[in-house]
Amino acid sequence: MLVSKNKGTSLLRSSEKRSLLRFLALYFILVTMILLLLGIFYYQSQEKLMFSNQRTILSNYANRQVKALKQLHSNFPHRTIYPRSIKYRSAIYDIEGNEIFSLLKHDNIRFDKEIYRVGNSIQFLKTLDDYYLGTKYLFIEVDEDKSWYKETMSNILAFGTLTLIVLIIFGLFFVSIFLRPMRNSIMLLDDFIKDTTHELNTPISAILANIEMMDTSVMSPRNAKRLSRINIAAKTVSHLYQDLTYLTLSHNRESKDEWIDMKQLIGDRVEYFAILAGSKKITFELDLKESAIFIDGVKIARVLDNLISNAIKYNKRNGKIFITLRKSYLQVQDTGIGIKSKKVQDIFERYTRFNSSEGGFGIGLNIVKSIIDEYNLQISVESVIDVGTTIRIDFTKGTLDG
Amino acid sequence: MVKKVVLLGAFCITMLGAEEVQNVYERNCIPCHRYAPASLEKLFMVYLKTYSGELSLKGALKAFLKNPTESDSLMNNTFIENFSVKDKTTLTDKELDEAIDTYWELYDVRKKLK
Repeated sequence: MLVSKNKGTSLLRSSEKRSLLRFLALYFILVTMILLLLGIFYYQSQEKLMFSNQRTILSNYANRQVKALKQLHSNFPHRTIYPRSIKYRSAIYDIEGNEIFSLLKHDNIRFDKEIYRVGNSIQFLKTLDDYYLGTKYLFIEVDEDKSWYKETMSNILAFGTLTLIVLIIFGLFFVSIFLRPMRNSIMLLDDFIKDTTHELNTPISAILANIEMMDTSVMSPRNAKRLSRINIAAKTVSHLYQDLTYLTLSHNRESKDEWIDMKQLIGDRVEYFAILAGSKKITFELDLKESAIFIDGVKIARVLDNLISNAIKYNKRNGKIFITLRKSYLQVQDTGIGIKSKKVQDIFERYTRFNSSEGGFGIGLNIVKSIIDEYNLQISVESVIDVGTTIRIDFTKGTLDG
Repeated sequence: MVKKVVLLGAFCITMLGAEEVQNVYERNCIPCHRYAPASLEKLFMVYLKTYSGELSLKGALKAFLKNPTESDSLMNNTFIENFSVKDKTTLTDKELDEAIDTYWELYDVRKKLK
């Protein structure tokens, strides 16, 4: 199977990214809400200003209309033509709110507000003391001049956007300040591991090479058992060394992708870990079908080693490890202590361990995840406390070999 | 002779019909106000200017007609000095309502404004 690589890696841990994104989202929402509120206040103040200007004009119209009504009242019924103007429309209502006469465009009048907007019109209410023609309420209506609205909205949009951009830049600056101590401590740990790793290489290689050369057939069973323990310990250190080397150095190394026979690779790695598994009386049950993927051999070996190593480390004595290989997926299942469901999502974080009683730096699954992400593979974890953990890798992307 | 009887009969029927056509307002209001210096129409406009709405106007008018006082009268002092306040109505509530409704219908400005 050919897998496409995703080189989009970042210096930030995913938990840092999550925190950063949460902070930014919260900050963005907060800033937007504050700006929205300011925008609303600004809009309301502009609207008030417009109403204030209109009130003066409409009040003059209303006074003019009252005079005309007074004249009509005294001449009624000899003159019955309701006074009209080209500048405004008007309506008269009696004390009980019943219409006497109306020229308004919008009939949904309000008796509780002096000036208000209805559709595209502004209506002004004047209450009369002398009820000419029975008029208690006089309404004056004019078409609204929308120029203030356009100007206000464009001001809100322009200043709002500009302020938002400035505040987001400030937010990013603050985030970088807040994250600096956290990043420094991680870099310090990385540097320490990197420096230590260099010093581990030669002694581990020497121990492993000498163990391989020793002839166990001439040893007493007790010595052979001791040698086996030394072998296990050396391999554990070797495994840790390889993880640390990968973590500190291999990120910058150019990948050498090739077709990897997964069945053969799993067989090799199981054999490599057989002694370690044997020390806890753990047995492997393999169900392997032919499968090949196009990937860097070192990287897929790191994935397998870490999955098997964890399955041994967190398994019970006399436990089992089931490894299933199909053309499109690989599954490693153990009969171990399991992981709490709320912790499952954090297991791929660097320096996170399932159980503090076990040794290690908590970097194995972080390496697995980084390789899985680099090749766009899918990984899923299912775990039940005291039953075991199942990790499955799907080779869903790319094309099948042949 | 027969012709005379028929003519007399026709006259009586016409007179009786004319009596029936006149409503409470026409029978009880117009006869007195015909000789008053302020017409009923002018009085209506004064009431309208003071009370504005139909219910308010009718209510105030009814209360005044049932118990007319100088303080409740809308007429000016000169008018009252010359003509005094009118007497209490002798009409029943129902008749009074009917007369006031007719008065309102007759001079309601809503129907006349153009």
